[in-house]
Amino acid sequence: MADAANFTTVPNLSGTSEETLLVGHLRRIQDHPVGQFSIHVHLSELRPDNSQQNFIRIAARAFEPLLANFDATLYVLSNHDLVLLCRDVPVDDVDQAVYKVRALFSEDPLTFGDEGSFEDRFTTWYDLTQKADFRAFMAEAIKLEEEANKRQKLDSEDSAPAASYSMAGKPLDPRNLAAINQRMMEVNISDLLRQQMAITIREDGKGSALFREHYVSMQDLQRRLAPNVNLFGNSWLFQYLTETIDRRMLTVVAHFDFESMPDSISLNLNISTVLSREFQTFHRSIGHNARKIVVELQLIDVFADLGMYAFARDQLRENGYRVLIDGLNPISFQFFNPGLLDADLIKLGWSKEFLGEVPKSRLDDMRVQVNLAGKNKMVLSRVDSEGAILWGLQLGIHRFQGHYADIIVEKMIAKGII
Amino acid sequence: MARDTQPVNRLPSQEKLLLDYIHRLEQHRDGRKLVHLHLSALRPFNRREHHIRAAAEDFESFVESLDGQLFVLKNADIFFFYKEEIAPHVETVVQQIRYLFSDDPLVLEEDESEIKFSDWYDIETHYDVILNLVQDLINASNDKSRSFNNQMDTRSALKAKQEKGEPLTPEVLGRVENALTRTDLSNMVRRQYICSLTRRRVPEPAFSELFISIADLRETLLPGVNLMANRWLFQHLTETLDRRMLSMLSKTDTLTISGDISFNLNVGTLLSQEFQSFDDNITANRRGGMIIELQKVDIFANLGAYLFAREFIQAKGYRVCIDGLSYQAMAVIDRERLGADFVKLVWHPEMMDGGEEIHTHIRNMIRYTGEDRVILCRVDSREAIDFGQSVGITLFQGRHIEHLIAEDNRRRELLRLKRRMERSNEAP
Repeated sequence: MADAANFTTVPNLSGTSEETLLVGHLRRIQDHPVGQFSIHVHLSELRPDNSQQNFIRIAARAFEPLLANFDATLYVLSNHDLVLLCRDVPVDDVDQAVYKVRALFSEDPLTFGDEGSFEDRFTTWYDLTQKADFRAFMAEAIKLEEEANKRQKLDSEDSAPAASYSMAGKPLDPRNLAAINQRMMEVNISDLLRQQMAITIREDGKGSALFREHYVSMQDLQRRLAPNVNLFGNSWLFQYLTETIDRRMLTVVAHFDFESMPDSISLNLNISTVLSREFQTFHRSIGHNARKIVVELQLIDVFADLGMYAFARDQLRENGYRVLIDGLNPISFQFFNPGLLDADLIKLGWSKEFLGEVPKSRLDDMRVQVNLAGKNKMVLSRVDSEGAILWGLQLGIHRFQGHYADIIVEKMIAKGII
Repeated sequence: MARDTQPVNRLPSQEKLLLDYIHRLEQHRDGRKLVHLHLSALRPFNRREHHIRAAAEDFESFVESLDGQLFVLKNADIFFFYKEEIAPHVETVVQQIRYLFSDDPLVLEEDESEIKFSDWYDIETHYDVILNLVQDLINASNDKSRSFNNQMDTRSALKAKQEKGEPLTPEVLGRVENALTRTDLSNMVRRQYICSLTRRRVPEPAFSELFISIADLRETLLPGVNLMANRWLFQHLTETLDRRMLSMLSKTDTLTISGDISFNLNVGTLLSQEFQSFDDNITANRRGGMIIELQKVDIFANLGAYLFAREFIQAKGYRVCIDGLSYQAMAVIDRERLGADFVKLVWHPEMMDGGEEIHTHIRNMIRYTGEDRVILCRVDSREAIDFGQSVGITLFQGRHIEHLIAEDNRRRELLRLKRRMERSNEAP
């Protein structure tokens, strides 16, 4: 029996997958499907950050009253989809449970379609007494079972499961952080610095360099410092670690030959770093080249103490630096007025959901936010396709960074227009 | 006006200039006088920017004729240094300004009060007194903006270390979190009331916040360590505290809980198994009496998780409060869309000193959010309540509110005693 409460134990340990159980269940009722129907809740199509195990566990619990009071069975599939098999359960009661789950994900594009409408991708209902529906659902269940088997096989072959931000290992904890932090202070990181260009595309289609972001490759850093620890596994402790990374990076960047550098560069720093003695030392050594440096501050750091942010921002500006706010995603971008942060640049991470079946009202919201932030301050990062660039241009954004921007840069360099 | 816009100067400019001026005066003490107007002690509604400007303008002519030097401090106090010869004129001007504020308790109750409207000094005889006074004022003003500038200078870092202890390190954090699982924290739980106020300023509790006293925790577990020195490590520590709080709340014999309560949790905790079991173990009607407080940095660290968690707990009947918003943060964040039931606005004297424009701005934000949904917290003075009420806030929390509650309890106790005495007197 597929009990939601058991979901926290890793599925498939018993050998029989939820998918196999589901197919078995369908076979048993095949000949007498009286009063039977099923609902397939497509949680596997949630945005990745919503499709986390603990979210799914909580969502599954919304069906508990149904399971307790009616003849209903819930299957929590390994791809995070939920399947509810019911016999003679009042549709209103099912609706209620489904509505609860829907509400939990109300900011996810998956729930944007009107409930029950043609565009609704959230649930699919099957009346199993209808032959056609039964066949369709059976086929779906078998397909899901095959996929699950494949996934399981892959997982056991490749013992590294997809961890958060695709980094393997156990999460950071205070103990391993202490050791990593210590090693971080000693190890050479200059060869771990990577760069990526951000560009401005002008009206005439020509482009120019905005800045080259210099950053430490976390994957490489992990390999060098702690191959068994997922540095992203705990966001607060990771944030702490970045304070040390900042300091190390400043010592490397201080030795750059700024005079012969054609473009500006950008650096990711914590606000606490900007206000530290190390930064003062850095500033003394680079002097008037501050105007060639954009300092990228993370939104989470900014929100931790807005007063401190304002102070750091003013101080940076006064010393010639430009200030960029990084770490905005399509959701967070809509929850505050980015213009009020009064930064020089604001970086918004592109995501595919911008392109999907986003209702017009959401696009309008986005337009309002872009205008509040100031079109000329926006940098659309992580652009991975032409569609991303076109989307940005359509909202008046003409600064870009990402794999696709890299391709454009190469082409422009080849044509000599950059 | 002394509106400091140059953060690299450690001292607000007028204060700094005043101190420089006094140092220079050391060599030219004779024949000079000072009047200090305590405009900072005026009621907030009398201390708006245009009032102070008007008062300062009265001295302008003396400044132009080089007979005096004027300083208007950030807290609205005015220092005017002048030559002996013009003393009668200065006295007249001060009388005029005093008249402007004649309806203010500072003037009305001057006879009973320790703070006078103005203090008069002879530089020659009072030089050291003046120097001390100004240094104290500047230190106080630095304390207000302490959070802005203590980061970079070693002196303040040293001072913080002496006062608050060694900064927390990952190693120590690991030890603390370990120890926490074995320590009984129930005697470190404190309670503070969130109250509305009657017209006579009698507090009426709406609910109370339960929290683990970090000071006590530090004393018990790690004297000499500053648990809050690093924001991120502290944030991690709070996740452990969350679990302890939940387990204490589940055992009703550990904490006596009466009335509606609020407590702080991390978004991550709401999504954890521990919260699930806590929720399983409490009765449905108790959920309605619980308000869960979340920090904005935690909310914005993973907004998607917050939205999910908020929906999840509100559907169960809990209410949600966003804790710790400065007025600047309140302006930036779309509170409506975050969908919380309450928001806590942190009191800071800066809000009052900011002038009419900021007052109007705050008033509009409160109205937009809903007067019954904004709590002014860390209320440590009567001034804070005055200000809060002037911008439409109806709910308050903080040391001063606790003080009012204690006062009210004493009053009731006395009243009861009095009644009892009256009854026994009436008895035959």
